[in-house]
Amino acid sequence: MAKKVRAVIKLQVPGGKATPAPPVGPALGQHGVNIMAFVKEFNERSSSQAGYIVPVEMTIFEDRSFSFITKTPPAADLLRRAAKVEKGSGVPNVEKVGRVTQDQVREIAEMKMPDLNANDVEAAMKIVAGTARSMGLEVVS
Amino acid sequence: MNAPTRWLELSVRAHQEAAETVAALLHKWGEGGVAIFQDHEQETVDHDPRPVGAWLTLTTYVPDSAAIAARRDGLEKDLWHLHAFHGDLVGELETQWVAEEDWANAWKQFYTVLHVGERLVIKPRWQDYAPAPDEIVIALDPGMAFGTGTHPTTQLCLEALEKLPVAGKSVLDVGTGSGILAIAAAKLGAAYVDALDTDPVAVSAARDNVVEAGLASAITVREGTLPLSDPAPTYDVVLANITAQTLITLAPHLRAVIAPHGRLLACGIIDAKADAALAAFDAEGLRLLDRREAGDWVLLDMERPT
Repeated sequence: MAKKVRAVIKLQVPGGKATPAPPVGPALGQHGVNIMAFVKEFNERSSSQAGYIVPVEMTIFEDRSFSFITKTPPAADLLRRAAKVEKGSGVPNVEKVGRVTQDQVREIAEMKMPDLNANDVEAAMKIVAGTARSMGLEVVS
Repeated sequence: MNAPTRWLELSVRAHQEAAETVAALLHKWGEGGVAIFQDHEQETVDHDPRPVGAWLTLTTYVPDSAAIAARRDGLEKDLWHLHAFHGDLVGELETQWVAEEDWANAWKQFYTVLHVGERLVIKPRWQDYAPAPDEIVIALDPGMAFGTGTHPTTQLCLEALEKLPVAGKSVLDVGTGSGILAIAAAKLGAAYVDALDTDPVAVSAARDNVVEAGLASAITVREGTLPLSDPAPTYDVVLANITAQTLITLAPHLRAVIAPHGRLLACGIIDAKADAALAAFDAEGLRLLDRREAGDWVLLDMERPT
């Protein structure tokens, strides 16, 4: 039976280690979702991704039941690894902290393609390259 | 340590092209992670909900503490630089205070009477219910503990428990949460129930529910886990609705507390890990009697042969 959707929420929380504290509690609580039920299920599903920030896309229905899928790590995390830098630049317009190649951007875009709101790889690459530049990473060919 | 009672919510609107960068900043200054809200069309589950527009609201939280001003200022400074870089894609920082009571209890109004198995009825403690003569009513206030009866693993356990010969038997409930399974076992006629949980919040919620149910003489709730101190008592029925990984770790200790010919209901197992859990129990010499599934969740009904 088709159920009416109440809200779509994305969370980025530590794999296997979500708690009912913020941001999970307020994000779910305001929609009347049973917080502990989500926390238990998420931790069980993401236990193999401990140590990574795991993006979750959650659909909450009008009857307050929910379903969710876990996704690939954030582009910023993948870019940091690709550029071998510890963190992005706090002042991306002035200070560049590293560089990534077009090929690396394409690789990340392809990996994240199912998770990005993009119609094709070129559009996905534009999003990933935008993320790279705003972290102070130069995109080189 | 007391949990903070209020948190500062930090929210930024951002275009999807800048969303990942803003999320990274919120991770840096906030605590526990980031929530992202996207406007969507009202759709049914037949389709994926289609996002509307390319703008998102990203939110993180900082607990009320001395460091709060520094973290807020740090985030504001980073956002200012990001703004200088592409101001058309990133909105202003917005803040507001939120209190735990604002969200922790919101789900309660959607928690109502629930029928499980043939005779069991789970009801919120704050709601009235007139049971049929053969029905067994479990009244709960789960608080922030797991076990409202709405989750498939809890329902699997309750259904299996209802079919076991529990009357007059000794029962151990490992990972009791709200105490729902321990109370069900006592109401089904168990001689006595020992209930354990490692989470003090759960222990407190379970004790509260046990006392309210008038079962304080039948159920003992303790903070802790297996193994039990030596010499360990054994139980006719052991309930363990935890997670696959914990069950695998505890497998030898679980076997040690099951009386010969006693039963173990192992639950909280996601289907992908069911075979690993089964292998761990098999290695301990436990025999599989039944395997039940609900959605992605599996219950293993095991027996200790000797």
